[in-house]
Amino acid sequence: MKRARQALVPLLLALCLLLSACAGPAVSAPDTDLSNLPAYSGAPYVVLDGNVPDFSQEDLTETAFEHYSPLDALGRCSAAWACVGQELMPTEERGSIGQVKPTGWHTVRYDFVDGKYLYNRCHLIGYQLTGENANERNLITGTRYLNVEGMLPFENLVADYVKETGNHVLYRVTPHFEGTELLARGVELEAMSVEDGGEGVLFHVYAYNVQPGVEIDYATGESALSAPAQPEDGQAVTYILNTGTMRFHDPGCASVEQMKEENKAAFAGTREELLAMGYTPCGQCKP
Amino acid sequence: MIVIVTLDEAGGMSFNGRRQSRDRAVLAQALQLAAGKALWMAPESAPLFPGAPVRADADFLDKAGPGEFCWAEGQALRPYAERIEKLICFRWNRRYPGDVFLDLPLEDWRLTERVDFLGFSHEKITREVYVP
Repeated sequence: MKRARQALVPLLLALCLLLSACAGPAVSAPDTDLSNLPAYSGAPYVVLDGNVPDFSQEDLTETAFEHYSPLDALGRCSAAWACVGQELMPTEERGSIGQVKPTGWHTVRYDFVDGKYLYNRCHLIGYQLTGENANERNLITGTRYLNVEGMLPFENLVADYVKETGNHVLYRVTPHFEGTELLARGVELEAMSVEDGGEGVLFHVYAYNVQPGVEIDYATGESALSAPAQPEDGQAVTYILNTGTMRFHDPGCASVEQMKEENKAAFAGTREELLAMGYTPCGQCKP
Repeated sequence: MIVIVTLDEAGGMSFNGRRQSRDRAVLAQALQLAAGKALWMAPESAPLFPGAPVRADADFLDKAGPGEFCWAEGQALRPYAERIEKLICFRWNRRYPGDVFLDLPLEDWRLTERVDFLGFSHEKITREVYVP
């Protein structure tokens, strides 16, 4: 009898382990190969793995949850993931998060940056999705550009889908640091709508933690103005003007070929000259 | 034909073959605008309008006649520009990821109406009406 009880112990232990694993989220950090990631070249994000997230069928659940990984030995965040549903969404305005100083944090201003401040406390899982305020496991130091151009559009897409359908979206955000650097080079965002098997929401992208016009030391978060890319002496930048709408475009902008010929004009000079002439930059190509 | 589209702040229509956003207030307006006329759309768009008498057809832009409405979500519209009598844009006033953008140069069209309204999941949606 005693021998039989002893034989049961490992079995019970295994059962306990299995049950405890089932109680928490099954998702783990992604295993994406970023060795071939292209350098930032003007787009705030690039698509990874054909825009298909690295989730398994077992990861998909209709039960809402959220998980924020512990900080590492350097105090850095790692993957955060959630099954986003209406039941997790905030019902009140966001609270203060200024008390959190994520790794690489510096309060630094540049006049040309939207909102003036180079760095934002970037939520990995956006506040509008899970209502997390000052959770240090969910906040990284990110440029304004990463926050607004790289991450917010994806959060908006997920939030609208959940609000309109009542469905759930499995959502994972993973910051990527190189070596012992304190500032993430970028974040990986993955999402898949659960109830419709990704028909409504499906993406897998990498958003760059950069700020055009600013050079960043990722080891410390220190920054400096980039050396301006001046045209060589006698070589002017060429823009295409729409004299009807008073907008200016990059020559490669899709709007250029659709422009009426009588409104089209080439201009060689500086952006400032065009602004002084009353022209505004195209909203799509952002020259 | 009268084409209805939804656009984000960058003129985007879809990303990864999926719509950028949706709002039940916009869907209700689309049905209201097309009341009494045919409302054409791609088969994958039809589930947005459950129970509504929409005409789902993969070639809907070719089949829609004068005065009939088309709900377009990422289709190329430029080849049909000559046949478009009116373009109705619902602007989300938010930014989404995008890889398909409106391919009609709105700057060459004439804006005849602009109205802001409250959506269900959007704080402000703007309806704009353009004519060639």
